[in-house]
Amino acid sequence: MKRAIKAAFFGLISIAFVGSAIADITFVSWGGAYTASQQKAYIDTYSKGSSITVENYNGGLGEIKAQVEAGNVTWDVVDVLPDQAITGCDEGLFAKVDQSSFINDMVVPPVSECVVPQIFWAYTAFYSKSAFPGKKPKNIKDFFDVKKFPGKRGIHTWANALIEMALVADGVKAKNVYKVMSTPEGIDRAFAKLDTIKDHVVFWSAGSKPLELVSSGEVVMSLAYNGRIGAAILSEGKDFEYIWDATVLEQEYLVAIKGGNEKEALEFMAHASTAQALADQAKYIPYGPMRKSSIGIIKKGEPWFIKEGGNIDILPHMPTAPKVLKRAVIADPVWWADNGAEVSERFGAWKGN
Amino acid sequence: MSQVQTSTGPILTTDGIPLKVSLKKAERKNKIRAFLLVLPLLSFILITFLVPIGDMLSRSIDDRQINTVFPKTFEVYKKWDRQGLPSEEVYKTMFFEVKNSEGYDIGKASTRMNYSKSGWKSLLKKSKRKFKKIEEGPYKEKMISIDKKWGDPEYWKALGQMVDPTTMGYYLNAVDLKYDSNKNIVQQKENRRIYNKTWIKTFKVSILVTFFCLILGYPISYLLATLPLKYSNLLMICVLLPFWTSLLVRTVAWMVMLQQKGVLNNLLVMSNVLADENRMQLMYNQTAVVIVMTQILLPFMVLPLFSVMKTISPTYMRAALNLGASPLHAFYKVYMPNSIPGVSAGCLLVFIIAIGYYITPELVGGKDGQMVGNWIAYHLKTTLNWGLCASLGAILLAMMTVLYWAYNKIVGIENIKLG
Repeated sequence: MKRAIKAAFFGLISIAFVGSAIADITFVSWGGAYTASQQKAYIDTYSKGSSITVENYNGGLGEIKAQVEAGNVTWDVVDVLPDQAITGCDEGLFAKVDQSSFINDMVVPPVSECVVPQIFWAYTAFYSKSAFPGKKPKNIKDFFDVKKFPGKRGIHTWANALIEMALVADGVKAKNVYKVMSTPEGIDRAFAKLDTIKDHVVFWSAGSKPLELVSSGEVVMSLAYNGRIGAAILSEGKDFEYIWDATVLEQEYLVAIKGGNEKEALEFMAHASTAQALADQAKYIPYGPMRKSSIGIIKKGEPWFIKEGGNIDILPHMPTAPKVLKRAVIADPVWWADNGAEVSERFGAWKGN
Repeated sequence: MSQVQTSTGPILTTDGIPLKVSLKKAERKNKIRAFLLVLPLLSFILITFLVPIGDMLSRSIDDRQINTVFPKTFEVYKKWDRQGLPSEEVYKTMFFEVKNSEGYDIGKASTRMNYSKSGWKSLLKKSKRKFKKIEEGPYKEKMISIDKKWGDPEYWKALGQMVDPTTMGYYLNAVDLKYDSNKNIVQQKENRRIYNKTWIKTFKVSILVTFFCLILGYPISYLLATLPLKYSNLLMICVLLPFWTSLLVRTVAWMVMLQQKGVLNNLLVMSNVLADENRMQLMYNQTAVVIVMTQILLPFMVLPLFSVMKTISPTYMRAALNLGASPLHAFYKVYMPNSIPGVSAGCLLVFIIAIGYYITPELVGGKDGQMVGNWIAYHLKTTLNWGLCASLGAILLAMMTVLYWAYNKIVGIENIKLG
């Protein structure tokens, strides 16, 4: 009996050793429907030996910087926003990546040498059809017009995209937004426009909140991540309607943390950024792949979005659909890496007064 | 049997060693043993408490992130009179220090420089790339032709506040002040003045929360301490149950209760107290923060109050009443002074927790309920301005120390009682 226990014990230990011959990786992303889509598209299908633990975070480089500075890196692959991808790469928090396999296949050039492509997503205004039985809001001007469309608006608690949208609502052309924003008067102008809805806003910070706010009638219109709106329409049958105007298009990348299990992390990232993987992700969430050939794969495979009782065409729900793109602002991560702190403090002052 | 000590020499033990020495020896052993027993705790506190606080304090004044990257530039920079644009020499030194920089130092430095003037970050990045192609001067002209920001005196002036390896700049920043290019202290630009207001708001919310906790907690604790055991146990569970429930769950429950289409507003509208269009805005503002934090922190008030009230003998009150005091007078003269140690413990505890609160203001604070903790989190995560975080944290720490000191002077810390 004793011998059997001993054998089992050593057996377990040896299994543990065999198991750790290939390092496991911790994959960190934003949670919710988004992480679920990553899980199904390329984590579950990964078979190179590393087992993958998924964790959630709320963005920002704080935790990563702390891990790298302390020499105790527990995250290996992280899903980051573009301005963070720039800063993290410049400060040496991320490992450099061989980009040759995808660099010519990307819709926009990558923001730094440390990233592999993921998706485009967009800050998008939307409303519930039941809130407007008569005339319906059509563009961002209507979102900022509380006389024409009375009722509360849901906006997020940080400044990104709000400045851009306010300027477009004030008459700036989408393609000139960053030119205007680079002048002090431009920022003043944006805040003046934000002032016009200030008494009518409800703030949100978690991605699921705007959907709740609109569903419950707490607000009549809100900004949200387009994928969340799409998922609510497609999967839950909500009567939401997008306002495809002045959507602010943001990029999303994967990076490997320096000092983590870099080799395994880079291998996994190569798998997670293939054209097929990005296309597969769109089966579960309506975000736009950053690789041109992924869009080809989806186009051929439509109806692509997986739903019980029959799949649905996904391309019209994407923020990169041509008719949406024509009226969109493409967010400039370099501008935000430069000016984010200053504008955020000003935004904080604006909120509090 | 009485023995009178007549000898003036030291008292000896049976083996002839002076008693004092022998005692000391025995005691030393005990002391070492006691110290060894405490050692793990002591080192734990040292490592997890004192070291991080020391690190925080040093970060709040450390400005080497940039000084080590551009040492020569700063040397020639110091000679500049801060009028117009600096000389060719400054440009040239800067040019070579950027061009020859290696690794990630320049990235870190540019993050630091960006705090004092937005735009440094992309300027340095772009310059680093383009400087490679430039072989000879005039550097001033060529640098300005690469990016006209190099010709903007504001960028150069912003460097003035970073010339020393240590800085009070982060502390100034934390109270809406800043250095100008000559290191004179000036006010922050008006639309960036945000921290003073936040400090006041943080204090206001913490004081209100402490006050409401006391008002609500005192009668509950009194009931708990005086009711017969079978009722008080039940009541105790009612106090403790929320305490055991996740903070997030309780916060979200409050959202459901208080939002405009929430339970409370609906009830008021249904009972015709409020018109449908006049629903109260109780969520996503400072009111919400005070309400929710009061509920969350209430047990921290009730528990110390209860444990102190439990020790107040009911005979005191009976005696006072017996001697002819009115109930109110007896309470005021006898019961309340006896409960003061609990009140002070509870208030101090609630206030200390409240002043650094983060998650509740983040969730229900909305437009005007953000506290200092939220700004610390923002800079910690997003701008990576840890110097500013550290100085905000250090100011919080200093405030608590002052408060503790004042409390000790006025009430006396020995009067505090948790049970």
